[in-house]
Amino acid sequence: MALDIKRFVARFVEEARDHLRRIEEGLGQLAAGGADAEAVNAIFRSAHTVKGSSRMLKLVAITETAHKVEDVLGALRDGSLSASPDLCRLLQRGIDCMSAQVDQVAETGTPSDPDPDLLAALAQAMGGESDAPSSPPQPPPSPPPQPAATATEAQQAEVKLKSAETVRVQLSKLDELIKLMGEVVSSHARLRQRLVDLRGFERAGDSWGGKVQGFARDLRDDVFTQELLMDELHKKALIMRMLPLSIVFEPAARMIRDLGHSLGKDVQCVTQGSDIELDRQLIDRLSDPIVHLLRNGVDHGLEPQETRQAAGKPGHGTLRLTARQDGGFVVVEVADDGAGLPVAGIRDKAIKKGLLTAEQVAAMTETEIIDLIFLPGFSTSSIITDVSGRGVGMDVVKRVVVDELQGSIAVESRPGQGTTFLLRLPLSLAVMRVLLVEAGGQAFGFTAQYVAHLLDVPAERIITVAERKAVIIDNEFVPVVPLAELVGVPVTPSKRSGCLLVVIKVRNEKLALLVDQLLDEHDMVIKPLPEHLRGLALVSGMVMTGRNDLVSVLQASTLLDAARRQRGGGTSAPAESAGTVGIRVLVVDDSLNTREIEKDVLEAHGYQVTLAEDGIDGLAKARAGQFDAVLTDVEMPNMDGFSLTAALRKEEAYAHVPIIIITSREKEEDKRRGIQVGADAYIVKGDFDQSNLVDTLKSLLG
Amino acid sequence: MDETANRDDMTLDQVLAIRRGAAGPVVNVDEPLVKLVVFVLNGEWFAFHGERVKEVLSDFPVYFLPGCPPGLEGVINVRGDIESVLSLRTVLRYPAADADSASRILLGQGAEIRSGLRVDSVEEVMDVPQSLIQAPPHTIPDHLRSLVLGIVAFQGHMVTILDMDRLLADYRVGAL
Repeated sequence: MALDIKRFVARFVEEARDHLRRIEEGLGQLAAGGADAEAVNAIFRSAHTVKGSSRMLKLVAITETAHKVEDVLGALRDGSLSASPDLCRLLQRGIDCMSAQVDQVAETGTPSDPDPDLLAALAQAMGGESDAPSSPPQPPPSPPPQPAATATEAQQAEVKLKSAETVRVQLSKLDELIKLMGEVVSSHARLRQRLVDLRGFERAGDSWGGKVQGFARDLRDDVFTQELLMDELHKKALIMRMLPLSIVFEPAARMIRDLGHSLGKDVQCVTQGSDIELDRQLIDRLSDPIVHLLRNGVDHGLEPQETRQAAGKPGHGTLRLTARQDGGFVVVEVADDGAGLPVAGIRDKAIKKGLLTAEQVAAMTETEIIDLIFLPGFSTSSIITDVSGRGVGMDVVKRVVVDELQGSIAVESRPGQGTTFLLRLPLSLAVMRVLLVEAGGQAFGFTAQYVAHLLDVPAERIITVAERKAVIIDNEFVPVVPLAELVGVPVTPSKRSGCLLVVIKVRNEKLALLVDQLLDEHDMVIKPLPEHLRGLALVSGMVMTGRNDLVSVLQASTLLDAARRQRGGGTSAPAESAGTVGIRVLVVDDSLNTREIEKDVLEAHGYQVTLAEDGIDGLAKARAGQFDAVLTDVEMPNMDGFSLTAALRKEEAYAHVPIIIITSREKEEDKRRGIQVGADAYIVKGDFDQSNLVDTLKSLLG
Repeated sequence: MDETANRDDMTLDQVLAIRRGAAGPVVNVDEPLVKLVVFVLNGEWFAFHGERVKEVLSDFPVYFLPGCPPGLEGVINVRGDIESVLSLRTVLRYPAADADSASRILLGQGAEIRSGLRVDSVEEVMDVPQSLIQAPPHTIPDHLRSLVLGIVAFQGHMVTILDMDRLLADYRVGAL
């Protein structure tokens, strides 16, 4: 039992010292008049924490001191006391006393009793100025005169070096070290290149006999040994800058509980996985997005208590802040058990704000509508509250996570059950896996998390849909664009027979980029651009190759935007053929890209298109409005295309409406099954082109 | 006539400055000196204040940066830091020209931003007495007026002294 306590005591000492240091810093600010409410709050909380944890370990003497200090800080916080220089000094004395007591605990296990004069003075500070009814039990005899003797005595005994288990290093110095490490990594890449060059000489001529070969072998060994050492060193240096997520999670959770309180909502905040460590660079910038998401959860997500109870849920809302490791990434989940996102509300808001037209929104799937919350200037709160709904929010969250932290963000919302935001983040921004490719005679890089596939396909597999190129990958149409075109370099005619495609993916949108060749793939140090070029959306940083060349690392989301803009420009002339205007078509496909392409094809021919993301969604939309034709994929979650077709045929309104199945399933039996369940046409994606689809549709519609 | 005695008290730079200025008026060496980096652009002579030029770089490969603004040639790698390179010809509205072997990149430091500046050639780094710097004439083109700090005669050329700080700040906000 004694052993156990010891372990806790050690932890207490460490934690208390940390808190006391923070209080001291806060007091310094306070004395200088530069402390805002939050700073006072922070030192109050630290004092409170010390009080609580000392009480758990029955370190009564510390509890007593901390309690008095906390009282005074509490009064400061609610404004019934003001921070006079005298008061600050008094508080400082209280902290000094606690520091001394903590040091005693570290050494002997028991703290000495606090200086009674100090306690009396603290109590008097409370009573003296606020006239609180709960004035101290014994009226203090004299405030300042004698403490000097006892206090200094105690202090003198305690002034000595504390054990040095940790070293505090200025962050800037650590940054310099890591930057230097990056340079070593880069210079090593050059060394490796020399090795390749040397091998070339070896092959060219062997007149030097075995000497060159021997030298090459030695060099190879040296490079290899250095590589091991360097990787190790780099890892160690990075670890020094890693911090646990608890640094973000704990204050956020505390803040959220306070916030719930101030909004009259009973909120529980559960954290999990906060011992996972991330690079300090990420931790620093992660706090704002997480706090914002939590605030949103409390403010918009959680329903009022009565509503919750009426729905059979517990009266208190729960926010869950969890982290788990997933390969080289960390997934942070911010979840509430509230009402879920109000899809209809978001839809209306988007229209009212003029972000989209009613037709555009009607054609969108639920997931796409939910994604609208990430648009700048979008906020669904109908009343502006103190907490959120200020219109700066989700777009900033997205920007920080995607652009600055090289991560991704996704939303899952279930009506009545809650909303979950998933942030996927790299462990460190210092080194990332980068794929280097060449296009238009220039090298470009992609960070690996955005690369979904690398494909080398024969030219015939690139098909033309609605005047633009696409390729079918895993039952999904993915637009194909030459990378050179997107980054504004001349497209060089390819010497290859096939097409080399880098398929990038951001959330659920894919884009296939045509490149000339793959150059390299390595863990690389991404260097930031000069500060005045950070606004360059296309480039997220640069890497150095083995030949010491600088290569731009491209921002995947910007490329997708650019490709979309290009597309938008290309199909600006709609409704070429008469007779199709006003004909409503429902397109059901679980792939975003396929939906978009089919929509483009049909709209280019004047059809009015509504999209659905699976069979269930399709059925619901079909029932909600009358469509003149339905296009559906086969393989979809929840309800497949065959079942959807069969279900629609049972509906009176759809008994005779043309239903076209578009799929990559080429088997005869599938076609037979499609016709059996009642489809009018069966188009295989491989031979899909726009005229095929539109002709079929025209002939079916008569 | 007491020149030799005087020279003992001078730094090498000052002596050299006098030598160079030998054709010009006699110089009082107690005067404050201004360090200038003199360069040529489209056949005209310009200078920046020396403390605004961190380095003069030659033979640095410039790398392409997709989507970069006009006037920006690309980026260079200066011992691990990435720096942009502006074509001073473009910024000062001279016709573009291919960089030849005499071409240099001045690494300029403004109050807020730092960038390389491509010039046709660097002629001299020198100290000139403050008093030799004259106010800019009225004949300079409008787009240059706010950038010119003064002019000074050097080797039979009129050298226009440009304000690096202003130039980089204006470039940054898109005023150039």
